[in-house]
Amino acid sequence: MFEFLKRIFSDGKPSSRSRANDRLRVVLTHDRVGSSAQLMETLQEEIIALIARHMEIDGTPEVRLISEGRHSALDISIPLKGR
Amino acid sequence: MAKKNSDCQVIVVTSGKGGVGKTTAVANLSTGLAKQGYSVVVMDLDIGLKKLDLILGLENRVIYDIVQVIEGECTLRQALVKDKRFPELFMLPAAQTRNKDDITAEQVVEVCKELRPDFDFIFIDCPAGIEKGFQNAIAAADKAIVVTNPEVSAVRDADRIIGMLESADFRDIKLLVNRIRPDMVRRGDMLSIEDLIEHLCIELLGVVPEDSGVVISTNRGEPIILNDKSSAAQAFSNIVQRMQGIEVPFMTLQEDSFWGKLRRNLGFGR
Repeated sequence: MFEFLKRIFSDGKPSSRSRANDRLRVVLTHDRVGSSAQLMETLQEEIIALIARHMEIDGTPEVRLISEGRHSALDISIPLKGR
Repeated sequence: MAKKNSDCQVIVVTSGKGGVGKTTAVANLSTGLAKQGYSVVVMDLDIGLKKLDLILGLENRVIYDIVQVIEGECTLRQALVKDKRFPELFMLPAAQTRNKDDITAEQVVEVCKELRPDFDFIFIDCPAGIEKGFQNAIAAADKAIVVTNPEVSAVRDADRIIGMLESADFRDIKLLVNRIRPDMVRRGDMLSIEDLIEHLCIELLGVVPEDSGVVISTNRGEPIILNDKSSAAQAFSNIVQRMQGIEVPFMTLQEDSFWGKLRRNLGFGR
């Protein structure tokens, strides 16, 4: 009930707190490994190009930074076409 | 001077960003521990921008400073300023007309080594930034308290500082969240304690709510921890207990109700 009322009276925008959390998540992950949105794009392009030279890619490949605690990792997901 | 413990803890209080409440935290925690009978010394390493003397209300008692100690113009004992209220609390003042490059990390380590046998706690008030002043401040410390505010820029800086402390092999790094406003958190307009811990991934030492009394106590040069009616004082007292190894639950940051406020102001407990 409360949630319902909150939804009616809110303007549909996410709260500034959740925006702050989303922005921090991205910026801290980049800060910790010295990367940037630009670098991630370059990495994605180069990794896909490399794989595509040897295998056939199927679907949308994804290259992103993930973090657990204060540790970060590069998460590469490249769907491949079967024969 | 009567030391309670055989060992001595050297704690650096740091934040990266300026203005989050490092000096206020140092003044209150050191005063709280001295009130419990511990021998405490606070070192102001914000050379060129000193504040601790003012926050503790000791600005008129300063004669020598840490740079003069290091340069041999006076002894360490001569430079220590005794607190007005607690005979077990001392301050080693920063120099106002010098800068961070006038001392080295090794010299700070030497000063701490000389203080260790006589004190239970040595607090190092670290300057803002990640440059020489920060390096000097962390060199002699065994543990760190990172102070932050529930605000994106302060959190980002705190994260950087934690990374640097970890690279410097600090094992004991704890978080002090200052100036939180429970009403804003509840409305979804401020990062919560849980959010901050999720981002920074370090152990929580304490949470200090925003309290206008802090400005007033600063005006007077009396640490707010001595005013037991304030919520910030209660929060700092809880941290002082935790630093003595006593488990104290974290304050539930309930917004003060009208009746709660009235009851407190009339002196009927908390």
